Amino acid sequence: MDTVTYPESKVVRFIEENFIPLRIPSDSKPHSDTFKVKWTPTLITLSPEAQEHYRTVGFLGPEELIPSLMLGLGKYHFENDRFDEALIRLEQLVDGYGTSGSAPEAVFLAGVCRYKRSHDPKPLKAAYEKLSASFPDSEWTKRAYPYRLL
Amino acid sequence: MTEKIQWHTEMDDALCLGQKAGKPILLDFFNPN
Repeated sequence: MDTVTYPESKVVRFIEENFIPLRIPSDSKPHSDTFKVKWTPTLITLSPEAQEHYRTVGFLGPEELIPSLMLGLGKYHFENDRFDEALIRLEQLVDGYGTSGSAPEAVFLAGVCRYKRSHDPKPLKAAYEKLSASFPDSEWTKRAYPYRLL
Repeated sequence: MTEKIQWHTEMDDALCLGQKAGKPILLDFFNPN
């Protein structure tokens, strides 16, 4: 991460604009125990109240790290019932990084956000249709499978 | 704009800054060896 991903200017810009960046050695107690860190790098999206919202383990290049961080931001807002803010992040991810590994989960979660805002089930079905068309082998397509009946 | 990520190293400092700025924290546990 230090040689490939973090030096990229767009990564620096994205992290500085959207996060308070914090680096801690993986053997640092009590934090490594609190967060049950077993491998590095472990990247966690944390609320200012120290609630974990998303984590990844293992190397990510710039083209995967940025969408992964967007997903973390989306989940941070989603889990605090800020569905409009979550949707902004998730749509940015799908529009800008639609072939990344984070995209299928973003499509799924965006459908859930739209449903949460409107209580209209159509966005859930639309999410399934988009997932089945674009990511037929994704676990998120399987998770959305029941929505085809809505 | 900085050319490097300005990492904080203390959890309490980062949480306090996050509360003030209304931003989440990106916590990177790295291998120190």
